[in-house]
Amino acid sequence: MSKREITVLTDVALITCIVQRGVADRIVEAARKAGAQGATVSYANGTGIRERLGLLGVAVEVEKEVINIVVAKDQVDRIFETMYLAGNLDTPGMGFMYITPLEKAATFIPADIREKLLKQANA
Amino acid sequence: MTQKIRFGDYVHEVSVHQYEISYNDLAPKVETDASGEMVPVKQTKLALKTSDMYHLLKPYLSVRFMDQVRAVVPLAVYLFLFQIIVLRQAVQDSWMITGGLFAVIIGLMLFMEGLTLGLMPFGETIGKTLPVKSPLPVVLLIAFLLGVSVTFAEPAIGALQQAGKIVDVNKAPYLYALLNEWATTLVLMVGAGVGIAAVLGTMRFLRGWSLKPMIYMALTATISLSAAAMFNPDLRTILGLAWDCGAVTTGPVTVPLVLSLGIGVASSGGKGESSLSGFGIVTLASLFPIMGVLILSLYLGATVTPESIIAGAAGAAAAAETTPQWYEVSPGVDVVLGVRAIVPLVIFLFLVMKVVLREKIRNAGMIAYGIVLAVVGMCTFNVGLTYGLAALGGQSGGLIPAAFVQLSEVQGSPLYSYGLGIGIAFIFAWILGFGATLAEPALNALGMTVQNLTNGAFKKSMLMYSVSFGVAFGIGLGVIKLIFGFHLAYLLVPFYCLGVVLTIFSTEEFVNVAWDSAGVTTGPVTVPLVLAMGLGFGNAVSAIEGFGILSMASICPICAVLSMGLIVQAKAKKAKTVTPSTEPSASAA
Repeated sequence: MSKREITVLTDVALITCIVQRGVADRIVEAARKAGAQGATVSYANGTGIRERLGLLGVAVEVEKEVINIVVAKDQVDRIFETMYLAGNLDTPGMGFMYITPLEKAATFIPADIREKLLKQANA
Repeated sequence: MTQKIRFGDYVHEVSVHQYEISYNDLAPKVETDASGEMVPVKQTKLALKTSDMYHLLKPYLSVRFMDQVRAVVPLAVYLFLFQIIVLRQAVQDSWMITGGLFAVIIGLMLFMEGLTLGLMPFGETIGKTLPVKSPLPVVLLIAFLLGVSVTFAEPAIGALQQAGKIVDVNKAPYLYALLNEWATTLVLMVGAGVGIAAVLGTMRFLRGWSLKPMIYMALTATISLSAAAMFNPDLRTILGLAWDCGAVTTGPVTVPLVLSLGIGVASSGGKGESSLSGFGIVTLASLFPIMGVLILSLYLGATVTPESIIAGAAGAAAAAETTPQWYEVSPGVDVVLGVRAIVPLVIFLFLVMKVVLREKIRNAGMIAYGIVLAVVGMCTFNVGLTYGLAALGGQSGGLIPAAFVQLSEVQGSPLYSYGLGIGIAFIFAWILGFGATLAEPALNALGMTVQNLTNGAFKKSMLMYSVSFGVAFGIGLGVIKLIFGFHLAYLLVPFYCLGVVLTIFSTEEFVNVAWDSAGVTTGPVTVPLVLAMGLGFGNAVSAIEGFGILSMASICPICAVLSMGLIVQAKAKKAKTVTPSTEPSASAA
């Protein structure tokens, strides 16, 4: 029985960004331009600032979109900042975002690229 | 020896300037009382600076504003340009119309927001808890009453009531009576139709019934009633109104509220298929009101004579000579109508919540705000309807016949030769229908659902274009009908028969989608505009009544989508790919 191999990626980080429903597309677009390779968007409900704003809270949607983007550690700050600015997160009620360090990640890696990178790492 | 620097550290140094604050400092401190128990943290209200308030409100307002601008402005611009370029007539009262259109935009914006904030939470809570707490008959009774009261709140119903002012009592006495003296009864009958549809729709959710037999039954009844009305020469004129009522009812209030109740019922013990459960109710809600109006007019025809109506109208006209009260003239009457539309619905929902469900009303402040918005929006919309949409539609409709017949208001008319002029009128109506439908946001949503439902076999754009083509031809045919003055039934009956034949051969999915697509196309902007245009047009060519265009705009897209669906199916079969869950159509009796 031959041994099965998998290749895992290290130096990865997860950016999670929670924004009002309908805004995610814009942020994902900006993140991709800054080097992110893909994004997962899911729907959620949230509370927080809406309740504390009183009547002005109507301007904040209860329904949110949660963006999850896995990025290379070297790029995490740049993408994080781009997303922050693209989503106007510096205004009240617009959303919240954070970075989680990840230990390992795995996905499909084209064989030729894998060989090249492994050779580099061993050199 | 070379030194290694991480590239990330380098990029960080040159591009990102981050200040760091510890969240420990920002988060509120949790106090403990004397016995060491935790004191619950009280969330303080945030005070915003004016600039922050602006940043917060700007996207909120602009998104909602632009939604309505997109629905209203292109249509208005098209009508303005057509009138100026093709008919070479200046737009009369253009400032008043512009103001009215602005009021429509603002009114719809407030109303839709009020609907989401103030009324939908009721609908959702009732939908979720009612089936759990009450036995089925009570649920069905409330579904029926809900159907009646949402009809009054539908913005397009106001357009119908306004249309009554234009009808000539001598030419069509029963039509006049229905739209004036009996206007409230008319809306009530339409409401009853929607109510029955809501009951049947809820039953459908629960039992997973097929839509096909319902369509056959409803259509048989409606067409026989129409035939009965056809044989009475006095009643013949109300057919157009009756069939148009179906298109009017399926608007932005009825559909979501009735749906939320139905879905609530289905999720607590139904066995209907989830992917389709949202469909069908629109179809029923557009067929049953037709029946209601037909029954009312048959009753009217049996009890009241045309002579007494004409005499009554003359008396009313004499009475109107005295100065009317503020609430009888526009804009006062618009405000009264607006309040009368929303308040009963709110009271009904409130009573159901309090008396039947004994539920506490959560978020009362937000709901009150939403209801106020809905009422203000409805009133503003009604004012805008009178001065903007109805005025513009009526004017355009009244002027277009100048393209092919002589009109006293238009110098040098007919502007074009007879054949060319009629062609122009048809093309005008066609483009109006096509553009208005394609821009309807609800259609986009439906297209998306259909695409997902059929795993991409029926593309979104395909649905949108077939519906738009259908509506365009429907409105065009409606205009042709007005010009040549032949009877609506000669158009409706063949088309509905075609629809039934296509239904027999189609799968349940396509039947649901196709019959619903008709209701989707008739939004709160299109309906008043097309109604007013039809009536103005009808008056200008001295047709007896200008109704019927909307009903043509309902059946044509149904046929278009059904045929499209059959073509898609045939192609899929030919290619021997997996067809999207082809259900055996054996359930069609």
